[in-house]
Amino acid sequence: MASYAYYPGCTLYTKARELDLSARKALAVLGAELEEMPAWVCCGAIYNTADDDFAGRIGATRNIVRASALGDTLVTLCAACYNVLKRAKARIDDPANAVERERVLNFIDEPYEREVRVVHYLDVLRRDIGWDAVKAKVAKPLAGLKLASYYGCLMVRPAAVLDFDDPEDPQVMDELVRALGAEPVRFDFKTECCGGYLVVNRKDVARESSARVLENARAWGADAVITTCPLCQYNLDRLRDRDGLPVLYFTQLLGLALGLEPDELGFDNCAVDPRPMLAEKGLL
Amino acid sequence: MSKPPSVSPLVRSIEALSGQVIADCYQCGCCTAGCPIGEAMDPPPSKAIRLLQLGRAGELLDSEGIWLCASCMVCGTRCPRGVDYALIAEACRAVVLRRPVRSGRVGPETVTDEDCEEIPQQAFMASFRKFSG
Ligand code: SF4
Ligand code: SF4
Repeated sequence: MASYAYYPGCTLYTKARELDLSARKALAVLGAELEEMPAWVCCGAIYNTADDDFAGRIGATRNIVRASALGDTLVTLCAACYNVLKRAKARIDDPANAVERERVLNFIDEPYEREVRVVHYLDVLRRDIGWDAVKAKVAKPLAGLKLASYYGCLMVRPAAVLDFDDPEDPQVMDELVRALGAEPVRFDFKTECCGGYLVVNRKDVARESSARVLENARAWGADAVITTCPLCQYNLDRLRDRDGLPVLYFTQLLGLALGLEPDELGFDNCAVDPRPMLAEKGLL
Repeated sequence: MSKPPSVSPLVRSIEALSGQVIADCYQCGCCTAGCPIGEAMDPPPSKAIRLLQLGRAGELLDSEGIWLCASCMVCGTRCPRGVDYALIAEACRAVVLRRPVRSGRVGPETVTDEDCEEIPQQAFMASFRKFSG
């Protein structure tokens, strides 16, 4: 079984457990496993950009250095961890930032030798496993289900550094949706911000941004929205005061399609329970 | 091509912290049009940059707009001139937050117990890193 060094981050063992659990279980069905990297530290949850803010990037860089001792690939699942770790690595590897590199690596004082790629779980599905192999393992095709793949900000921007997908019209989750037998819906707000961390002190603003995403997905005929970011899931699912569209992690529906028991997939953690909708579609 | 130096030292330090060239902006408004917070943000991205072009950095640093950026990176993605306002807003906040007076917008004391229970910690980390000194 292929094994990947895995960076879970702070939210995936607590408020987004179901993302971590469903992702691991689904990957096991596909013949691979995630092995938590030892001694990881918080990535910082957002990338600090001020040119001289070396300290603000040390945590993320420390993870890169430690991961480089384990292998050539580090898998992330949380969109924020993916964004921050990948940007921190690009920063430290850029010859234009030689001063920062030297000072930060001296401070961390652990060997950074090997090239290590920061990838997202979706990269593993797309590149290493492949859609045909995913399709071959589908035990319960999600026929009749229309899904809006919501990428938000952190998976796709800044595009030059992340190089993950088209920053205006990304496709990877839509490809997965198709492989699972469901129907991807086109909608306008695939990469529109949910309001992100503004939920902490400007809930009004975050609520408005999130509501726009849900309403747009609804208008295009989606039965549910899928995401890979705990904060997008929270803002869309919990801040709403109107629309009832379910908001799930893509891994939960991946698990369902691969034949895992619905009870194992953490559906009860959603504020708007997706199970009645799934039952109506004959999928539970 | 070399750029004329910015007039105000404050604008020069914002340019240094952000790595952006304020004079590159030609005020097309794409950033503001795409900003998901643009309606609530005062000044919105293009207007904020205009203030810097006019040497009125103080007005921007005193504004609420720089504290409403969600770092969604749409403005920089869509700018036809390669200007990234998210980095400029962060530089402005850095200038304010590094002053000796306390000026952060968030902290443990601004969070209710209920929000602490509910909101993913990812949001607290991000918010505190962007909005507290
Ligand atoms: S999109 Fe770029 S050039 Fe246009 S107003 Fe905004 S910063 Fe200036
Ligand atoms: S990064 Fe900030 S200013 Fe730029 S579009 Fe997003 S919220 Fe608006």
